[in-house]
Amino acid sequence: MDINMQRRSQVEIIQLRGPLRLGPAVNEFRQALDQSLSNGDTRIVLDLAEVPMIDSSGIGVLMKSLASARQRGGNIKLVNPSKFAIQTLRMVGLLNLFEVFTDADAAVASFA
Amino acid sequence: MSPAPTSGANHSGLRSQLSLAIPAEAEQIAQATDAVLACLANLKVEEEKSMAIGLAVQEALANAVTHGCQNDPSKTVQCELSCDEGGHILIVVTDPGPGFDFSAAPKPVVQDVYNDHGRGVFLIRQLMDEVSFERGGSIIQMWKF
Repeated sequence: MDINMQRRSQVEIIQLRGPLRLGPAVNEFRQALDQSLSNGDTRIVLDLAEVPMIDSSGIGVLMKSLASARQRGGNIKLVNPSKFAIQTLRMVGLLNLFEVFTDADAAVASFA
Repeated sequence: MSPAPTSGANHSGLRSQLSLAIPAEAEQIAQATDAVLACLANLKVEEEKSMAIGLAVQEALANAVTHGCQNDPSKTVQCELSCDEGGHILIVVTDPGPGFDFSAAPKPVVQDVYNDHGRGVFLIRQLMDEVSFERGGSIIQMWKF
């Protein structure tokens, strides 16, 4: 799992590359989100364009972090999730909890 | 064990395509799932079907490693993939544990949506066409038609 983090207009953009599955990938994803949230960066854009698969452990980390961000007045917004990732999130009844954007700029601008 | 489909569908010519045995540790699961995906690609299974099977395998292996083996790498989880003449795919995941009452697994949509666990079995049931548990839940048999 490659994770690229950059900050733009007080929004943390986290770009993931590779399947988000139990093991090192989910551990690194959890660390990245925990790091952002513990730094007080609660406005997060998650770029999922290159994440072909998300398993239940990845979804678990995502939901726990979403709760944490919202409790502190922030949010997590999704950019370009793959067709299968969208299908998976819809399957477990969670897709409607997220704002989904087709590009990172629009997602960042939505926090303004 | 002999796979026994319960749908009444004809699964003639069922042939084993892949047999894996992995130590029960989380780091091994993705590699096993990738081996299943590669096998499905060799069988020319369409991508959407392949991804559904791959995620179901990932979830079944995660349950076996975490619940069946308590992440004890001295224990072994087995995963077998078979295909019949109609292109129907059978996956069997076996762990040496005492099993688990999968029928009691709640639907995640009625749980707290912010829960960080409890969605694996629900996903498996959604992704696959037929799912059954044997030996108290330590064997999961999943069909994708």
